[in-house]
Amino acid sequence: MARPKSTSTSAAAKAAEGDSDYLQKVKKSAKTITTSSTAEYFSKNLQQVGFSSPVKAVLTTLKEAVDNSLDACEDAGILPELSLIIHRLGPGTLKNTDNIRIKVEDNGPGIEADDIPKVFGEYLASSKFGRGRCSRGQQGIGISAATTWAMQTTARGAKVITKQKSQRKAVSCIIDMDLKNNKGIVRDKTMIEWKEPHGTVVEFTLDGRIQLNGEGGLLTYIRGTILLNPHMTLHYDITDHPKTSVERVTNTVPLIPEATEPHPHTMKLGEFISHARLFGRMKTRDWLKRGFSRINDRAIADIQKDKDKSKRIEDKTLDAFIDTIADDNFKAVYAAIQHATLLPPATNTVMAVGEDGLALSIRRLGDVDYFAVLTRKPAICDFKPVQIEVAIARLKERTGEDTDSPVQVLRFANRVPLQFDKASCAIVKSLTSVQWRSYGLRQPKDSLPLGPYIVAVSVVSPFIKFKNASKETIDASDELVEELRRALMQAGQRLSRYLKRENKADVLEQRVQHMEQFGPVLIETLARILEAPDERKQRATEGLSKILERDTKGLKKDLKDAEGRLSSYLEQKKQRLSGFFKTIEAEEEEAERKLKAGDDDEDTIDAEAEEVESKPAPAKKAKKGKKSKAAAAPAPAPAKKAAPAKNAPPAKKAKAKKKK
Amino acid sequence: MAKATTTARRAGKKGAEIIGLGKELCEKMMVDLEKAKRPILQATKCSLDNANYSPTVGYLTPGNKKVSSELNVSSVKKITRAIFMLELLLRNVEIQTINTKRELYYVAKGYVKHDPKLKALDFGDQDESDSVIDFICEMMEAYREELNCVADDRGGQTYSKNLVVVETESDGNVATIDLGSLGTAPFQPKNRPQNLELKTTGKLDFCIVIESQGTANTLVANGFTKRNNCIVIGSGGVPSNAVRAWLRRIQDQLGIPLYFFGDLDAYTIQNIYRTLKAGSAASLIRNSEFCAPEVRFLGVLPDDIKKYDLVDYAVREADIGEARALKKAKDAISNDPFFKDKKNKELKEILDWLVKNKRRCEQQAYISVDPRDPLCMEKILIDKIKKKDFI
Repeated sequence: MARPKSTSTSAAAKAAEGDSDYLQKVKKSAKTITTSSTAEYFSKNLQQVGFSSPVKAVLTTLKEAVDNSLDACEDAGILPELSLIIHRLGPGTLKNTDNIRIKVEDNGPGIEADDIPKVFGEYLASSKFGRGRCSRGQQGIGISAATTWAMQTTARGAKVITKQKSQRKAVSCIIDMDLKNNKGIVRDKTMIEWKEPHGTVVEFTLDGRIQLNGEGGLLTYIRGTILLNPHMTLHYDITDHPKTSVERVTNTVPLIPEATEPHPHTMKLGEFISHARLFGRMKTRDWLKRGFSRINDRAIADIQKDKDKSKRIEDKTLDAFIDTIADDNFKAVYAAIQHATLLPPATNTVMAVGEDGLALSIRRLGDVDYFAVLTRKPAICDFKPVQIEVAIARLKERTGEDTDSPVQVLRFANRVPLQFDKASCAIVKSLTSVQWRSYGLRQPKDSLPLGPYIVAVSVVSPFIKFKNASKETIDASDELVEELRRALMQAGQRLSRYLKRENKADVLEQRVQHMEQFGPVLIETLARILEAPDERKQRATEGLSKILERDTKGLKKDLKDAEGRLSSYLEQKKQRLSGFFKTIEAEEEEAERKLKAGDDDEDTIDAEAEEVESKPAPAKKAKKGKKSKAAAAPAPAPAKKAAPAKNAPPAKKAKAKKKK
Repeated sequence: MAKATTTARRAGKKGAEIIGLGKELCEKMMVDLEKAKRPILQATKCSLDNANYSPTVGYLTPGNKKVSSELNVSSVKKITRAIFMLELLLRNVEIQTINTKRELYYVAKGYVKHDPKLKALDFGDQDESDSVIDFICEMMEAYREELNCVADDRGGQTYSKNLVVVETESDGNVATIDLGSLGTAPFQPKNRPQNLELKTTGKLDFCIVIESQGTANTLVANGFTKRNNCIVIGSGGVPSNAVRAWLRRIQDQLGIPLYFFGDLDAYTIQNIYRTLKAGSAASLIRNSEFCAPEVRFLGVLPDDIKKYDLVDYAVREADIGEARALKKAKDAISNDPFFKDKKNKELKEILDWLVKNKRRCEQQAYISVDPRDPLCMEKILIDKIKKKDFI
């Protein structure tokens, strides 16, 4: 049926009108393109930096605060003493969450008052970014993200108390975030009396969920932090868990090696040119020598000797000032250097805990039955220096009940525990690729080995390649996986030496039983095949008994020898370790003696300080008791005890207070 | 101390003879036990360090090394398991039934389940029972097929328009299979091709064994066997016992030239081709009937890469399989008597080339010479045979 002409005309007009609306919308949207601040981006993408679930939010907040505290202490050469409080306050505003208070106190150097809003309220504000050092924090994102999460869930920022050694009073304030401008806003700033000589307390109130054990558990994190920081004393108080204090086992603050200049082979062209801009007016030759590691006169001379002229750097470019060089010339310099054979980057920029420190620290994890630790020499992987450490411990508490469960893997990157997304991590990939059967552990194909073990693997490098901004997974490059495999295999060999000794006694015992089990079956089967009469069977049985008697006699002697060797091996190991403890105890006694001598000189001792000093005494005594007991066992018991952590600061703090 | 060893004929042991050998072995053990002497079981050592190669014989033969197991606390488990398994095998021979290794593993497990006294003998996995069966074979110098323990009928799909196979079945029936009447269906040789008689209905110029069964099927589908008087066999990777014995049968009964066409890589030369031509170190006692020394290596040859501009690529040393093959090739160059022999100098040179250049080229690369010509591969193969471009 034909339509009236007027109707069709109006439809066409409407369509034209629709098109014009659409075009206007497009134009409008094109005009509204805006720029967002870094803080705005992260506030909308907190899952990228470890705040993807309530459980992870609590763990990440704790982790970032502890990382900052430890880094600050180590930078200032202070033996860290941290107190953690994580309490459930009530139901949270978000579904299935609780309102949680996380408080981390350290004895670090404190923060400049002007820097407080930058540290806690500004993204990408960091003293460590791109410095090429093995510090825990790198980019300056984590703690600001924690403040953002706290503000988003409870509308309250981070509460900070901090005091530097030179200050008489501490600064107390609340840091909120100005997301629009990526700035921290200081609120309620006051100067307060604080008994500590220096340090920082940061407190967040946020919505989240407390999980104690498992992959994302707070205790798993704390356990890992304890292992890799033998110089740290930690007190923690978490809801549903008894207050616990773990004392340090070494009195040496690790010296973090200073960064060296970058290696030119680790740079891309853009970075190379930007690097030049940092040096102002300088000749190219001098810039190459001063701005990079592994380039010296000899290396430049080698480049200039290249048979292929195009692979050399023009002399006039070498003598020109870098701020006058055109980008094309930079490209030629860059290409020549990339083509040249240079020494690999230096490995002295990495630091490790060391086998002795690990050996002492591993026993703070629980009742360790046996352990093996290994620190590899620094190596170059993907043109970056890397050092790997491995600790394998067998826990008495897990023996027997958990033999069919996979080993517990503790992963670390620059001494920070990694707890999520383990499947794609280089550490787990290398762990599953090692044939643990040959080291005496059971292992299903392409899986983690089984048994009551903790396998801790630490990767230390100034340039760790993480897969994401939340630093949960290390990228599995072939070279790194191979280096990790070697470390694990070496640690496996050490473990297997012990297991073999231990197993030998079992094997010999089994063999004695073998003759008794198999002998009669052998004779029965032979008699069946030969249809032999009973008399022959009887004679063969008697003959077998004689053989058996000869064998078991010899075996029992072997069994006795093997048991003797095993116990002497354990005794030797125990003696070696007790040596470390004796050194530490001697150091502590010396410190205590000095402290007492200092006390006598003091004329006035305020009552508070006296009270404070009197408290650690039982704890100290208990610690000593533990240590002497530990030295007597093959792998001594951990120096772990329940104590009123915050109420019993150690003697050092008390002395500082007195002086004040 | 007495030794319970056997000196059997190398081939063609009949059932009664096998039973006799087994009982003889058991009798010696029983006598030793009655005298409170430790019985010793001795078997031929089947490994490369006990392999000899002579170009006149044409295959790897066992040397004088023996593996001995004396009854003591360490070996009692192995010996008891061996005698237990021997009983099962002898019974199979007696009642003329066959089993695969997997089935024997379950037969043994069944006995263990129903008799608590046998519990200690239980096999943890099939590897354990397989090694016991191999030990029995080496001890009796018998093929596992002679002990009625057969393998899967893997590989060996055969096509030809002029070949007739006559099979005498165990019940005496005679079956005649004319391969020319099977259409596109292949003939599959069984585990004991020694029972097969071969006849021809026309001229047969050559037989070609192709590493990839898929490529063999492609050639046949494109009419290779219709245009050429030949036999085409798909090996399906490392040739199974059936394929090796089947090719030996063709060599002995038809006397036609035999060619092998496979990839140019260390695994193919050192493992697949060497096993087909001279047998393997693991089966030294049976190589006399399970390899075809007349087979020639038609390609892919290193020169073919240049000659036909074939697609080749670098060996990925990060790949565990390829790295292992390369390492095994290096070992073979220095330790394998087959490659050390002057007669196989050219093959050794190929291995050297592969180890040095770390390149590989697959047989399917011939197709890339002219992708639009479906007969491209056939033309190259026939050309190579005509020009005697093989090793």
